[in-house]
Amino acid sequence: MVGLLAACGSNSDNNASPSASGSAPATSGASASASPSGTSSAAPEKLKKISLFQSKVEIADALEALAKTYQKETGNEVEVWGSAGDAYATQLQAKLTAGEGPTIFSVATGEEAEKFKSYFADLSNEPYVKNIAPNMALQDGDKIVGVPYGVEGFGLVYNKSLVDPKDVTDLDSFTKTLEKFKAEGKNGLSLSQEAYFLIGHIINTPFALQADPQDFIAKLNKGEVKMADTKEFQEFAKFMEAIRANTPNPMEVKYDTQMGDFATGKTAMVHQGNWSYGLLKDYGDLGFDIGMMPFPLAGNNKIAVGVASNWVINAKADPDEIKAANAFLNWLFTSETGKKAIVDDFKFIPAMTNIEADNLDPLSQVVYEATKSGQTIPWAMNYFPQGIIVNDLAPAAQQFFLDKNMTGEQFLKNLDAAWAKGAQ
Amino acid sequence: MSTRYRKERAWYALFTLPLLIIFTTVVIIPFLIGIGYSFVSWDGIPANPKVFVGFDNYVALFKDERFLSSAWHTIEFTVLSLLLVNVLGLVFSLLVTQKLRGSNVARTMFFMPNLIGGLILGYIWQFVFTDAFKTVGERTGLDAVFFNWLIHPQSALYATVIVFAWQMAGYTMIIYIAGLQSIPDELNEAAKVDGAGRWHRLTKIVFPLLMPSFTICLFLTLSNAFKMFDVNLSLTKGGPNNATELFAMNIYNEIFGYGHYGLGQAKAIVFFLLVAAVTLTQVIITKRREVQL
Repeated sequence: MVGLLAACGSNSDNNASPSASGSAPATSGASASASPSGTSSAAPEKLKKISLFQSKVEIADALEALAKTYQKETGNEVEVWGSAGDAYATQLQAKLTAGEGPTIFSVATGEEAEKFKSYFADLSNEPYVKNIAPNMALQDGDKIVGVPYGVEGFGLVYNKSLVDPKDVTDLDSFTKTLEKFKAEGKNGLSLSQEAYFLIGHIINTPFALQADPQDFIAKLNKGEVKMADTKEFQEFAKFMEAIRANTPNPMEVKYDTQMGDFATGKTAMVHQGNWSYGLLKDYGDLGFDIGMMPFPLAGNNKIAVGVASNWVINAKADPDEIKAANAFLNWLFTSETGKKAIVDDFKFIPAMTNIEADNLDPLSQVVYEATKSGQTIPWAMNYFPQGIIVNDLAPAAQQFFLDKNMTGEQFLKNLDAAWAKGAQ
Repeated sequence: MSTRYRKERAWYALFTLPLLIIFTTVVIIPFLIGIGYSFVSWDGIPANPKVFVGFDNYVALFKDERFLSSAWHTIEFTVLSLLLVNVLGLVFSLLVTQKLRGSNVARTMFFMPNLIGGLILGYIWQFVFTDAFKTVGERTGLDAVFFNWLIHPQSALYATVIVFAWQMAGYTMIIYIAGLQSIPDELNEAAKVDGAGRWHRLTKIVFPLLMPSFTICLFLTLSNAFKMFDVNLSLTKGGPNNATELFAMNIYNEIFGYGHYGLGQAKAIVFFLLVAAVTLTQVIITKRREVQL
C-alpha cells in the first residue's frame, strides 16, 4: 500500500544520452578501471541509470534540477523519487523489503541508520569521503558508510524587530515575553502540528543538556530513570505550559502556516531550524531581520546542531548501479557544479572540508558560526528509539495541547508512559 | 461421451486456471506466509533474524491498550458509517427514481465522490474541516458547531464517518436504484388501488423486495468500513492522540512505525477473522429475510 504513494522507478531503460557535448564517440570498455568510481568525470563511459530517494522535502526541486545538470554534464542518469516527508522511513523500508529499493538513499544519524545498516555499501575507499569533516561521517564500525548532507541547527527563530534575545534567557523572561505578546494580540511563539515540530525538536533540549545524553536515553529505555524525576524535564514541562497558555494551539497550525505567519510578522518566534529559511525566502523581502537563538531551557545558551541525514548507497543494488552511484556522489562532492549546488541550491551548511560556505542565509550563518566556535548542543533525538517521536511522543503532546487542564507533571508522566511503550 | 466430457473439462480449466493462479499467488500464498509471520518476532528487514515465538504475539496484542482502543474506534466508526451510508444511499435512490426533473443530473452528482480516490477526498475534507469550518464558525458565531473538527477526538471520528459516507453513499445508491427498478410497477399500482399510502407501499412492498440490495449494500459498507485506511490516513493520520486510529492503521503503525512485523501480522490475522465473522453473520441474517416473488 505504501509503495503506491511514490513514483515507482524502473531502472530498465538505458537509453543513450542525446548530448555528449563534444566528446569523442563513446569508447566503452576502453579503460576498465579497477577503481569502482570513475575519478575522472570526463570519462565518456556510460554508467547505469540510478535512482535516488531522500527525506528532505525542502531540497526536492533543487535535487531534480541537479540531476538534470548531472545528465547534461556527464550523460549519466539519476532518477529522483518524490520525497515523502514524515513517512519517509516507512516508505523506504517498504521499498527495500520489496527489493525495489533506490540506489542512493538518505538515512538519519542514530537509530534510523542502525536500523538500515544491513543495506549500507562500504564507501571507505571512495575518493570523496576523504573530505568529510572530522567526526561527521556515518560509520559502521571502522567502515565509512555514509556522507553527511551537511550540518543543521535549530532553536528559536525570531523576528529581530519584535524580539530581543536578551528578553528570552530563562523560563521567567520567556514566559513574560509570551505574555507581553499575548496582551498585544500577537503570537509570541508558534509550534506546528507535525510530530517533529510539535515535540521532537523541542524535547531535544532537555535531553541534550544531560551530562551524557546517550547514556540517559539508554537508562530511560530500561526504565532506570524517569523524565518526571529529572530537573531539566520538569522545567521543560513549565515551558510547555507557558507555550500552551499564551500561544495558538499548535494542533491547528501547519508548518507552512507557521512559517507564513512568521514571515508576515504575525508571529514573533517559531521553534524551527535553518531549513525553514527555504519557506521564508518565498516571501521575498520580509521587511525585518531574522535570527536564531537558543531555546533557553535551564539557561541554555547554545543552539542544537547535528547531522540530520546522510547519503548512503544501497549495497543490495546491482554492482553497476553501485558504481554509478559512487560516480554521482563523487561528482556531487568534488565537482564545482555539485559543490555549488550543495551550498547555493540545497542551502546546506557543508560538513565537507573542501566546500567553502560563503553568503549563507541568516539562519544557516548562525548555525555555521556556532559549529565553528563549538557553541552547540547535540541532537540527542537521533538516539531516540526508532519511530518514537511520531508514534508515541506526538500523541502525548497532542493530548497535552488539547486538554487545557493537564498539568505539566501529568504531561511528563504521559511522556514517560509513551516512552516505555515506544522503547519496547 | 467421454471425449466430450474431457473437452469440456479442458475448456473449463483453460478459463479458470489463469484466474486460479493469480488468486493463489496474490492472495492465498501471501495469506499463508502472513500466518507464518504472525508466529515470529521480526522487524521487517530481510537481513535481520526472525525468531520463532509461538503464540506470544497473539497474547501480546490482547494486552495492547492502543490496539484495543483502536478496536473500539473501529466498531464505533463502522456502526455509524453503516447507518449513515445506507440511510443516505436509500434516500438518494428513492429521490432520483421519482420522475423529477434533474434526477439524472442528481444521480451523477451523488455518485461523483465515489470516483475520487480516498486519499484525495481526505485531503479535500481536511481543508473543509480545519479551515472552512473555522472560518464559518468565526463569521457566523456558530462556533459551537463550526470549529476545527479534526483536533477534537470525538468530532474527528465523526468527521471521518462523514467523509466515508460522502464517498460510499453514492455507490450504495446505485445498487439501491438497481433494486428499485427491478420491482415490478404492477405491485405498487395494485397496492395503490387497494388504498395503500406512500408509507405503506414503501415498508410493505418496496423494502421487502429490496432485501437483496440491502444484503449487498450492508456487506459492502461493513467490510469497507472495517478495512478503511486511505481516508483515515489523509484526513487525520489517526490523530489527535490516536483517537481516530482504526484497525488497518493500527496494524500499519505496528509494522512500519514500531517495526514489529510479527505482532502486526498477528493483529492482521485477528482482524481478518473478525471481519470475516461479522460480515458472514450479516450476510446470513439478511439473506434469510429476502423474499422471493
